[in-house]
Amino acid sequence: MSFLAPLFFAAIAALGVPVLIHMIQRQRTEVVEFPSLMFVRRIPFHSLRRQRVRHWLLLLMRCAALVLLIAAFARPFLRSTALAAVTGGSREVVVLVDRSYSMGYGGRWEEARDIARGVVRDLAADDEATVVFFDSGAESSTRSTTDRASLLAAIDDVELGTGTTRYGPALQLAQGILEDSDQPLLEVVLISDFQRVGVDSAGSILLPPGTVLTPVSVADDDPTPNVSVAGASVQRDLFADRERATVTARLANRGNEPVEDLLVSLELNGRELESLRVSIEANGPATVTFDPFTLEDSAMPISVRAAADRLPQDDVYHFTVAPGDIVPVLIVGKPGNAGSEANLYLRQALAIGTSPAFAVTERAISQVTAADVTAAGVVVLNDVGLPDGPIGAAITRFVEAGGGLWIALGEGVRWPGDNLDLLPGPIDGPADRDGRGGSLGFVDYSHPVFAAFSTPRSGDLTGPRFFRYRPLSVGPDTLVLARFDNGDAAMAEHRFGEGRVLVWTSTLDTFWNDFARNGIYLPFVHRAVEYLADYTAPTSALTAGQVLDLSAYPGAAELDLSSPNLVVRDPSEDRVDPGSDGRPGFIGLQEQGFYEIRDTDAGDTDPVLVAVNVDLSESNLDQVDPQELVAIVTGRAAGDRTIGEEREIRPEDLERRQTLWWYLLIGALGFLATETVMSNRLSRAELDLD
Amino acid sequence: MSTAATVSPGARFIDPKVLVRIGSLELAARFVVEGFINGLHKAPYLGISVDFAEHRGYMPGDDIRRIDWRLFARTDRFYVKQFEADTNTNFSVLFDVSKSMSFGSRGVTKLDYGRYLAACLSYLSSRQRDRIGIVTFDDDIVERVPPSAKHFDVTLHTLDKIVAGRPGDLGPPLFKATEFFKRRSILVVISDFYEEPEKVLDAIKPLRFAGNDVIVFHILDPAEVDFPYDDSSSFEDMETGRKMAVVPDKLRDEYRALVQDHIRSLGQLFSRNRIDYAFLNTKVPLDHALFKYLAMRHKMTKVR
Repeated sequence: MSFLAPLFFAAIAALGVPVLIHMIQRQRTEVVEFPSLMFVRRIPFHSLRRQRVRHWLLLLMRCAALVLLIAAFARPFLRSTALAAVTGGSREVVVLVDRSYSMGYGGRWEEARDIARGVVRDLAADDEATVVFFDSGAESSTRSTTDRASLLAAIDDVELGTGTTRYGPALQLAQGILEDSDQPLLEVVLISDFQRVGVDSAGSILLPPGTVLTPVSVADDDPTPNVSVAGASVQRDLFADRERATVTARLANRGNEPVEDLLVSLELNGRELESLRVSIEANGPATVTFDPFTLEDSAMPISVRAAADRLPQDDVYHFTVAPGDIVPVLIVGKPGNAGSEANLYLRQALAIGTSPAFAVTERAISQVTAADVTAAGVVVLNDVGLPDGPIGAAITRFVEAGGGLWIALGEGVRWPGDNLDLLPGPIDGPADRDGRGGSLGFVDYSHPVFAAFSTPRSGDLTGPRFFRYRPLSVGPDTLVLARFDNGDAAMAEHRFGEGRVLVWTSTLDTFWNDFARNGIYLPFVHRAVEYLADYTAPTSALTAGQVLDLSAYPGAAELDLSSPNLVVRDPSEDRVDPGSDGRPGFIGLQEQGFYEIRDTDAGDTDPVLVAVNVDLSESNLDQVDPQELVAIVTGRAAGDRTIGEEREIRPEDLERRQTLWWYLLIGALGFLATETVMSNRLSRAELDLD
Repeated sequence: MSTAATVSPGARFIDPKVLVRIGSLELAARFVVEGFINGLHKAPYLGISVDFAEHRGYMPGDDIRRIDWRLFARTDRFYVKQFEADTNTNFSVLFDVSKSMSFGSRGVTKLDYGRYLAACLSYLSSRQRDRIGIVTFDDDIVERVPPSAKHFDVTLHTLDKIVAGRPGDLGPPLFKATEFFKRRSILVVISDFYEEPEKVLDAIKPLRFAGNDVIVFHILDPAEVDFPYDDSSSFEDMETGRKMAVVPDKLRDEYRALVQDHIRSLGQLFSRNRIDYAFLNTKVPLDHALFKYLAMRHKMTKVR
């Protein structure tokens, strides 16, 4: 027998003190021999008979009771294997049920729940179990319980999720449960379709030693054909002064078999606008472009839906299309062919944009009107100077009011000396770079224009060669975004009024450099124009599992987030608390579809729509060998139960399970009760004698 | 309790502690008795054995003062006068030698005190030509010396070698002792009488059946009477070995009362049954005991 708190036995020494003192006193006390105690015995109340141990049995019982009490506090336990076998047969079972949306494939979800129910029903009386449902996160309703009813109820109530498979959180939760458990046998039952995409998250998990992980796969052994709508892009244009949108949907066939004549439809607000048929090769993509439709004044809920297959969750893609996602650009160039040629690359680059789309208006410097300037979002002075007269003034006012101006300095730029406010500094005549020309030597990648090129393999800005440029004298306060390798400014930003001015010291065509022939030209132009237009891309769709921050959501800027009348409804038309996690304005997006957010006090204003789609990584139904996962998280092959049986049980667990202290306490109470009865009887008997 | 002041002024008091220092029991007895008798020459009790019985020839060692000079004048031979009382009585001591008798708080145990008392009485009796015998007992007869005129030395020897070691019980040995005294005797019972008074009487009473004169000496140590202990102690019964923790201060008064009550009860019971009873405290000199004895013998002589 061992004890968890053997120091309590020091109390036994305290128990022995009175006895010891008594014994010492007895030894020290001189015994007086007296002829006869006949008379002394007749005097009942003045003898010290209590100082003598008269009832050894009572003393022994009292001492035994105290010893048992002390032993109980010392928390005894037995290490004998026999007892451990008797008390150590119960299990701590954690049932991990995959509820990611891939489990909606065919009848996997029902099968998984049936298996989970079976595991719960097969639990022994002493077994404690936890059912954990997981997708990208993990949660359990009741932790380490023997109440099978609650476990079965949890299994019955759970619904298929919209998240992706991540084994990490679930196994980590199981790890915590098992580590806290005092049961001798630890088991994890993992019911899943074992998608390969979820395995990476489990790399750092290692279940407690001795844990038996039993994988139960509900995936089919057969190839799993699955087509998903991978996304959609919207091409905008203006038609009859109305903005039109052309939706192109991307589809992916994840199966090994080609799909023929798949019906794909475009839905607006749940109503089908158009249906097309498409054939997709095995493991191949496809795109479907629907006819353009005119946008309304508010955001429109659009869905692209493919004919349902065995995994319906990824057969639809929701998104919103809001009007106004076009940046009008006025290109002011040289008149005639020269201007047209100079604008060629710029025009072509801006024609490709979809989000935003760029509505390009080209005007020769002699033909530009104040109305053109007013209608523009960004004005590009491509190889021309600031026009004289009212147009120049109009452009100045335009910039001062917050417009964007992009000045490309070429051969023909003549800037009026009396209006240098729009420039960061004076311009010199053309400067040539000899030989292979110069290149960009410094780029401010922190600036929004160049931030897109900051990551590796996102574009080499040092590739383009520059043969001629217009040196720009910049002051110390001027923000130079890029410099040539000789140190001269290649691009500078200047603030004027509320507006922004970017000065590109070379041309935007191929006359002075080969930048326009470089692959980074198009994104460079787009970023520059978007920056000048202060463009923020609207969010068309979010992914299930994300948390929506309404304060940062472009379409929800006008909502009063603190308003008690703010109503959020999920795709199931259920009301969602916009501050459910304690922070107002944050919404956990759990369902696939459209969330509606409106302020009921705001009258007939259109609701803010938030499109939510499932994470398409879950559409990849490629499986991992369950044994591989078992090996990762247990460090050994599945089915090896011997280690579990050899698991060394901690003394604390043994003691807690055996609860020998309880029996000792009962024994102590029994001794005390018997002692009370006996001492009462003896006292009465002695009183009668006296 | 009687004290020395109450004894006859002529008595010579010898502290029992002094007696203990005298190795020879006979010498001690002689010392006491001779001194006692010398001191009594003015007492009214002289001549208790002067009743003439017969003459016998002088034997060397006889006191020449006892020679009948008149008869010498007539017969020219030496004759010694013998008196009746000297020859017609058996004198036996029944001595309790139980363990409790070995108690003594002042250097003199009750056994010693009783031993000297018995020796003195025997000596006294032998001087009167009584036949001397002794019976020692505890819970049974330990040793018995039948009464005989020649057994004075044996009696002294028996007294000398007494060892108190066993628990005592008056009833059985005394009942057995009644068988020894077919002839009328003077029986002196010496004990501390740690029994209930009724039981003591029941044990002593049979000794009187054969017409014996029974004189009871109840010997107690001063500590047994006064209970002078102060400290709480464990008291052990010398006979039973039973121990008891006692707070003397708490029970002294009650104890004294019980002892006095016991003594009083014994005296009353013996008196009612015509048994002479004398309580002796070992701190009191033996002279006092002898004085009491002779007073009783005198009473017996008168009665006879």
